[in-house]
Amino acid sequence: MKRVHRFGERPAVFLAPALAVLALVTLFPILYVLWLSLQRYSLIGGAPEYAALDNYIRLLGDARFWNALGTTLYFTAVSVALEVALGLGIALLLAQAFAGRGAMRAIVLLPWAIPTVVAARMWEWMYNGDFGVINYLLGTEINWLGNPYWAIHAAIAMDVWKATPFAALLLLAGRLSISQDLYQAARLDGAGPWRLFRHITWPLLRPLLFIVLIFRTIDAFRVFDAIYVLTGGGPANTTETLSIYAYKVLFQALEFGYGSALAIVVFVCIAAVTAVYVRLLQRTLS
Amino acid sequence: MHPAKRKTLRRLGAAAAAALLPACRDSAPRAPRGATRTLVFKHSKLFGNPRALAALIAEFEARHPHVRVRTEALPSASDEQHLFYVINLRAGASDFDVLALDVIWIAEFAQAGWIADLTGLLPPAEHGDCFPAALAAARYRGRLYAIPWFVDAGLLYYRKDLLAAHGFAPPRTWDELARIALHLRARIPGVHGFVWQGKQYEGLVCNVLEYLWSAGGDVLRDGQAVLESAENRRALAFVHALVPRGISPELVTTATEETSRHIFGSGRAVFLRNWPYAATLFERPGAPVRGKVGIAALPHFPDQAPAATLGGWHLGINRRARHPEEAAAFVRFMTSPEAQRALAREYGLNPARRPLYADAELLAAQPHLEALRPILDAARPRPVTPRYAQLSQVLQGEFSAVVTGIREPEAALAAAQREIERILGSA
Repeated sequence: MKRVHRFGERPAVFLAPALAVLALVTLFPILYVLWLSLQRYSLIGGAPEYAALDNYIRLLGDARFWNALGTTLYFTAVSVALEVALGLGIALLLAQAFAGRGAMRAIVLLPWAIPTVVAARMWEWMYNGDFGVINYLLGTEINWLGNPYWAIHAAIAMDVWKATPFAALLLLAGRLSISQDLYQAARLDGAGPWRLFRHITWPLLRPLLFIVLIFRTIDAFRVFDAIYVLTGGGPANTTETLSIYAYKVLFQALEFGYGSALAIVVFVCIAAVTAVYVRLLQRTLS
Repeated sequence: MHPAKRKTLRRLGAAAAAALLPACRDSAPRAPRGATRTLVFKHSKLFGNPRALAALIAEFEARHPHVRVRTEALPSASDEQHLFYVINLRAGASDFDVLALDVIWIAEFAQAGWIADLTGLLPPAEHGDCFPAALAAARYRGRLYAIPWFVDAGLLYYRKDLLAAHGFAPPRTWDELARIALHLRARIPGVHGFVWQGKQYEGLVCNVLEYLWSAGGDVLRDGQAVLESAENRRALAFVHALVPRGISPELVTTATEETSRHIFGSGRAVFLRNWPYAATLFERPGAPVRGKVGIAALPHFPDQAPAATLGGWHLGINRRARHPEEAAAFVRFMTSPEAQRALAREYGLNPARRPLYADAELLAAQPHLEALRPILDAARPRPVTPRYAQLSQVLQGEFSAVVTGIREPEAALAAAQREIERILGSA
């Protein structure tokens, strides 16, 4: 024990290599982007020029930025809410004993296993207004991805299809880790299904629910590939999220200063949301 | 970027390149006389028999015994090609000499100092041979930075059988097109009127510019934004009404080149705006519209002239090329009439040199070239500015808003004018 104690006296030494790696691959890029966001810098122009907060001031007056922020928030709120609600339902169903449960658990995971770009291409065909299967099934004639109202909802539907399995899987794991004894004891006391859920499942699942929310919110807020493949941000920028806007500014228009400012905004938003979740999670746990 | 950092990055890049490409370690800036020099030619994949390009390169090597040419294909998406060039050229890459350039990148690359001034490479006597729009696209601040290789232009495909059966001549004005489209659509079930590329992407800008120009409008004039004109308003008002009036189906708001080609090619539309590549595909044996497709210049507004957006590829030289003289010889060779004739015959590309459009042998192989020449003569380059990528993003969003009907033409033009003025002002 004494030796272990001696190790404990110098944690910094042992943490140093890991911290150095983290600093190199995480901290340095973030600081570099932060530095870039304070420069006037286009790849086709000359060297970067210090521009103080000019890029951020420009953001405030940029209608396309506010539009992208609104789109991102709407996409995140709606898709994460649906994913967690559906995921919870599916997790509770899959926790029941029924024939073929193992197979069902595997099948439910399929959408999550398909690469996003492939899935997005698939959905693009299904949404096709001319010969898409969705119009065929619904008996409608809507050009889902070309209609400024429907396009963002089409993207949300695809994201829900894709990410619900992730929420379901995590929540299922959480549900299965709850001891059966609790349920049996409650049943003996005469509790019905609703009370079992309300007083056993829900409180014990909440920490995991926060974890799912953190993961899904971060992912949804950064959404890029799914929507980029589906619509490219159109029609009329109605599906342009912050990540897509940042990508276009950085890698098509080559404005590294302004694009970095956009990236920093995404980073700060995600950091803020995560901080709130972590605070709530801690309160739940204590 | 900080100079020291840039140097480090460049070294890293060079190290990576050296590790990946052991074959090109002949990094001495000047090979000794008599030694073999290897030129690297970057281009996008040419669809067709790869032997035709290989044969041309063998011919060049035979004429220049000390030069070897290695071709390297780029990723197929134009955005990715652009990104590849930008990353490599910005880092000072010298591992490729000759590069194929989309017409819209030339001013940007010239401004950045990435491609060599090739003004001396095209003798003034040959300028008349090239389509004026192709030269205009390659000219920046009075100098020529790339040599036209292949050209493209928007044109109108129409169903000559359907038009003839209902007693119509090919439309000359947009109103005539609208009238014919509505007339035929109402009488032939399952057939759309006019299909084109209305998805929010570069293709939409190409389409809408043709309406602006054929109304006498424009985006830039003498380097200034001139979007808020009566001509542009008139043109966009017509575009705005295409879907609501039923001239075009709602699906055009997601259509790209291939989507619209498939609809027209399967016989489900009367008119199509597309690039020349579609012509050959419509005449393939077994194609549903074979022998029924006519080609014409795009319509125009009354008292104006038709206009087509120029597309296509130029050849440029990396300013850090290791073998600039050999690269120049190679560009001369690949853009020569004989090379263009061979590539046009094998790959169906449209030569940038006008005399080839009177070449009997070539016309026999590619009959649609004859109809193409006047269209290419009247083609126009998209705004030639190093900031084109930024301009295009603004136009894509605003034009898409007009096409889908969520913004009035005046509002879209005012917003685009404001944004483009800001972009040009910050240059």
